[in-house]
This record gives sequence, structure tokens and C-alpha cells, in this order.
Amino acid sequence: MTSQRMIEFVHVRREYRRADGAHVTAVDDVSLIVPEGEFVCLIGPSGCGKSTLLQLLAGLDAPTSGSIVLKAKEIEGPGPERGMVFQRDSVFPWMRVIDNVEYGLKCRGVRAPERRRIARDYLARVGLTHVEGAWPRELSGGMLKRVAIAAVFANGGEVLLLDEPFGALDYVTRRQLHDVLLALWDTPGATRRTVLFVTHDVDEALTLADRIVVMHSGRIADDIPIAAMRPRNDDTLATPEIIAIKHKLLAHLGLQTKGAHA
Amino acid sequence: MTLRGLGFDPLRPLGALLFLGLWQAASASMAPIMLPSPWSVVKRASADFWSAPSLAYYGVEDPSLFGNLVYTSENVAIAVLVGASLGALVGLAASRVWLVRALVNPIMLTAGTAPIIIAAPFLLIWFGVGRASAVSLVAFYVATILYLFAERAARNLDPIYEHSALTLGAGPRRLIRDILIPATVPELLGGFRIALAGAWGLEAVSELLGAQSGIGKVLEVLAGATDAQGILASLILLGVVALAADACAAALIARFAAWSAAGAQRL
Amino acid sequence: MSAAAKERLVSLAVFAALAGLWQIMSRVYVVEAQPGEPMIPGWQILFTRTFLSLADYWGGGFGVPTVADGAARTYLAATLSLLSHLAFTLARLCVALALGGGAGFALGLAVSWSRFTRALVEWPVHFLRALPLLAMVPLFQLWFGATFLGQSLFAAYGIGVIVFAATVNAVRNVPQIYIDNARLFGASRFALYRDVILPAILPAMRSAALLCLAAGWSAVLGAEYLGAQTGLGYVIVYAQQFAYLDRMFLVALVLIVCTSASFRLAQTLFARWLVWAPPSMRA
Repeated sequence: MTSQRMIEFVHVRREYRRADGAHVTAVDDVSLIVPEGEFVCLIGPSGCGKSTLLQLLAGLDAPTSGSIVLKAKEIEGPGPERGMVFQRDSVFPWMRVIDNVEYGLKCRGVRAPERRRIARDYLARVGLTHVEGAWPRELSGGMLKRVAIAAVFANGGEVLLLDEPFGALDYVTRRQLHDVLLALWDTPGATRRTVLFVTHDVDEALTLADRIVVMHSGRIADDIPIAAMRPRNDDTLATPEIIAIKHKLLAHLGLQTKGAHA
Repeated sequence: MTLRGLGFDPLRPLGALLFLGLWQAASASMAPIMLPSPWSVVKRASADFWSAPSLAYYGVEDPSLFGNLVYTSENVAIAVLVGASLGALVGLAASRVWLVRALVNPIMLTAGTAPIIIAAPFLLIWFGVGRASAVSLVAFYVATILYLFAERAARNLDPIYEHSALTLGAGPRRLIRDILIPATVPELLGGFRIALAGAWGLEAVSELLGAQSGIGKVLEVLAGATDAQGILASLILLGVVALAADACAAALIARFAAWSAAGAQRL
Repeated sequence: MSAAAKERLVSLAVFAALAGLWQIMSRVYVVEAQPGEPMIPGWQILFTRTFLSLADYWGGGFGVPTVADGAARTYLAATLSLLSHLAFTLARLCVALALGGGAGFALGLAVSWSRFTRALVEWPVHFLRALPLLAMVPLFQLWFGATFLGQSLFAAYGIGVIVFAATVNAVRNVPQIYIDNARLFGASRFALYRDVILPAILPAMRSAALLCLAAGWSAVLGAEYLGAQTGLGYVIVYAQQFAYLDRMFLVALVLIVCTSASFRLAQTLFARWLVWAPPSMRA
């Protein structure tokens, strides 16, 4: 594993003034270093600031104080080196599937034949070759997520931000998309991209992450490395070690379990 | 597959026949000067289509229904194109630029509720009798509607699309060209269709109030001659032109809004 | 300060600025439409001389003599004149809304009862909707003469066609799930109409009603422009023939205030009836 610093949060704070005038601290003095190629899951109860942290890193929002550094450069606004997959559907309904996957490359001025080749490649990898000419409204929720993932991977950003991307999907679709995502991330012969994945699903975090960062009330409450072998399956995730982590995470989310008492 | 399965319902033409039958029955029981029969109106429309000497007698510049239809259609076309582009552009700008919205919105919201026809006599004084006053009246009306549709559509656009485009590397120009405009096209075209439907009546009223040509002018002189047959013939031809224009607008929607549910419905 | 309050303040400021700009323009651009009639009359003229001149359109009554009979212009006569013409315009509008709205809605519901009647009326209604309403003024004048009834019927026709088409369309678009649900509860066809379809089409009828209000105002003004002896539209067109821009402007302002108020009223009423509807249905 490389140890090159990819992302660094330095004493980041984000305060809001709500419509009723109350002050809210969504992110409260967060410092975090993410090395290159690491798959980090951010987990925590609703309103703990995990999505805000991702928005800040994406550049769609700016910190009240502190700084966010990407490869030794402070970030200012959004950029194509940081791709983002949203919880809600962000695939442009007015572009056909293939045009959606190409869009980032088009913004960068990649020429048409080249970007079509890349887009086709990624569409094949997410298993959507057969719908490349379809309109997004003709696709299911799971397929739209595949398009969104293909679009950010095709755009080639070194950092991928996923904000509860599979939160609205059914269990089976979610499990399938975990495999799609991991296969793209862990392509043999390619450098792994750095991933920040926000979720509130403990099993999802355990399946995907190298490291799980737990947030609570805008602060980092825990930081747990997951050493389990890849590819993981239900059996490799059933070791006593992983189960202990699972109980710890559930406790962080406010869920009391039998195991936590044991 | 049944006829209905192919999208053809024999009850519809039957309804049209029933309507014509009712009209025929009503005209039979009334003086032809009040309500001529449908057939006589059709005959009149075809007789006067290329050349109607009586119109020349009343001082209409181009003595044919066709010529006056063309005049009216030209005015509507110019006004709709100019008004729609202006209204849509300002509406989109107002949705994203605070200053534009603050300045324009109160005026446009008032104009949206006020019947634009109020302005017709003013325009006649300012621009005189002729194309300019009719075109500006219709253009103002179309611009108001397109402004309201564009502003609302852009304001209701889910910010997730702009956010997504930003994270994919789009700049401000691309945000407008690839997100804001295409995303609002279905609503813009919907507004365009509504504005187009209203434009014909406004154009006709403007011509009725003061013009040398156009279907409105024809209606005015025929009304002076209490010629119900001529009035109905002109009205129906104008209705056919309006229907054809509406069909073009619907085709436009099907073509450019195919991605949206609204566009798919019309396909 | 809330966003809505800020917006209201800004629009007030915009209208105040427009009024001020008008005043400045009246000083700068002193061209006259005809001798003694400035193209841009300032407010000091509009609210004195112009307002007084509306007394010319007073038809008499209440012991207030008319200018035509040689009486001097008085503020009382001018006020009565404005109010009486406004009353005629509003009366036409109200008669038209009641007749056209009632008939259109009733016919629309009746036709919606069966799929066959719905299909039968589809083409004729589509064509009637395509006929430009305002172009039909001469036809109605020919049929009913330049009478109050004729003008009201003309506007009522325009409103009726809109309401009819909107009702048929709204009933067709009632989500099947509501109808199925009511059927499962054992609702009769009549109960289905009363308890499910009527409330379910109300949100759609809101936009139709606003459309009707706009069409009604246009139709009434169009009819008054083209041959009436009463009403604010008549006053405007009569003043236009003498290029009295200031009178036209004043009356148009009164009309715009009235139309805005009528829309505000309609929106408030529908907001009250539609408290149950989710915001997306009220848009």
C-alpha cells in the first residue's frame, strides 16, 4: 500500500446559520489524512456531518475555517480530479446514456472518437453496453447508478467521492453494485483511486473499506482499519475480529447489540 | 391488432360528423345570414381563398383570404420568434442572477396577470396602424409567457445536475449550454405552445383595431357587411392555420424533449 | 428579514422606481401626442386634469349632471364615471365566469361519465379550442349585436371552452389508484364522482380557473374595444380615437390593479380549498 498523502483535512470547520437563525456546526474541527489509493468509508448517524465533509472536499461547499489539501494543493471549488456520485439520481435525463458517460471527457476537450471509446469501455465494465443509446428515463434506479459510476470512472479522477450512492436501492441491487464498484476500483494493472464513501450501512462499510472513519456531531469519533482480505465475502466477513468491529460500529450508531454487552 | 390499438378511435371522426350534423341542423332552422350551413362556409372559403374581389371593394390591400392569412401568419411568426427568444433568455438569466430577477420579476409577474390586450390601443398610437403595433403586442405577450415559464423551470431545476456537472469539470459556459438550457427545454417548449395558441387571437384583435391587411382586417370589413358566411370562412381558415402551427409546435416538443416524460407522451 | 419579505420590498422599490422614472421622463420627453396632450403625462396631471376629464364619460344619474349636458367636470362625476364603467366591465366578467364556468364544468363532467362521449367530443373541442377566441368578436356581434348580453356571452364562450376541455382532461388524469381504492371500498359510480373524482380534479381546475380569469379579462376587454358603449375598455378605445394618451394610461392603470386583485383573490380562494394538496399539486 502506498503512503503518499492524497487528501488532507486540516482543522476543517463548517458552520451554518439555519433559516430560524440558529447556529449549527456541521463539521467541527476535523483533521484527517487519506493516503493515495485508500478506500475510506465515512459512517455515522444522520446529521453527523459526513455528507457535509464530502461536499467540502468536492468543492461544492467551502469550509468556514481550516483547509482541505489535495496532493499538496489547497482545493478551490469543484474539479474533474474529484469525481462524485450522489445519492439522488444525477444522470442528466436530457443526454443519452453514452453521452452521460462521455460528459466529463467532453468538458476536458477529449476528442469525440477517443471519448466514445473510453465511454464504451466503462459502460461494458458496468454491464450496460446494451443500453448505450437509451434515455435515462428508460433505466431502473440500479442502472442509473451504474451510469453515474461509469461516468466518474471514465472521467479518470484520482479521487472518488460517493455520498450514500446506494442508499435508495434494494438489497440485491446494492450487493451487485458493491461488486461493480470494487471491480472498477481494484482493476489489475491500474492504480487504485482514492475513495471516500459515505454510508450509514455498517455491512456496506465492512464490505468495501480499507478504513472506516466514524463521525459523530461533526467530529471524528473513531478511525478503524479493516484488515480483512479482498475480495471479501460473507465468510471472510464472519471472523471474530470483523464481528467485534461490527459491534463497535453499531454502538457508535446508537444501536445496542447483544455482542456489545458480551 | 384493433384499430383502437393503433391509436385510431372511430368515435373521434364520428364526433366530428355529429358536430357538423348539429351545425347543419341549426343552420337549417335559422336565417342563413345568421348561421350559414357548414357546406356553404367551405364553398365560400375555397371561392375566396385565392381571390376575393369583394374584399378589394372594402379596401383590404390584398383581396384574397390566402394573402391575408399570410400577412397574419408572418406577423405571428416574427412576434413569436422574437418574443420567445427574448422572454426565455431573460427568464433564464433572472433565475440565476439576483439583480436581474429583482428588477424584472415584479414587472413580469404583473404583466403575466394583466391582459396584454390592454396595450393594443397604446401601441396603435405609438407605432401607428401597421405591422409594428401588431407585432410588438404579440411579441410582448409571448415574451411574458416564456419569461414566466423559463424562470420557473430554471428555478425548479434540481441543483444536483449543476453540482454533478461541476464535479465532472464543466465551466460556467458549459453549465448554461449543457445543463440549464437543455434541462428547461421541455418547459420552454410547453410555454411556447401556449403562447403560440394565444398569439393568433391577439394578432387578430390588433388587426381588428386598426390595420390594412390581415385576417383581422378581413373580419372587420365582413362584420361591417354582416356577412356571417365570410366571417365563419375566415375564422375557420385561421383556426386551421393555428392548428397546423400547434401541430408543428407539438412535433418540436416530441423532437427536442424526447428525453422527458412530457416529450415521450407526445411521441 | 425573510426571503419573501425581502422580495416584496424589492418589488415595491421597483414599482416606486418605475413611477419615479415616469415622472422624470414626463419632464424630459415633452413631445405632445396632440396639442395639450403630452405623450408622457406626469402624475400631477394624471391625478388632477386627467382624472377630472373622465367626467366626460359619465352617463348621468344620482343627480350628477353630465358634461354633455353642459355641466362642468367635477371630481364626483369623474369618480362616478370611473366606478360605473368599472362596474360594467366587472359585471360582464362575472356573468361570463358564472355562465361559462358553470356550463363548461357541468358539460365536462357529463361528457366524462363515459369513454364514448369523451371520444365523441374530442375532435370538435380540439378544433373549437384552436379557433382564436379574440378573433371571434365580430361573429358574436353579428349574432347578438353590440349588447351587454352579447359581450358577456362572448366571454362566457371563451371561458366555457377552456373549462370544458380542462374538466375532461382532469377527469381522465385522475390516478387510477384512487378510483380502484374507492371501488374496493364499495363506492357507487355516483359516490366515486362525488368523493374521489371531484376533489381529485380540484388542483388541476385551479390552473384552469386562473387561465379562465385571464381569458375572461381579455375577452371582456376585446369585446369592449370592438363595440360597446360602456366599460373601461370602451373608455380606453374612445379616448384612443382622440389620442388622449393620459386618459388611456390612467384607465389602464386602474384595470391592471383590478386584474392583479382578481388574480390575488382567486389564488387565495384556491389556496383555502387546496390545503390538503401537497405543494407540488398546487404549483
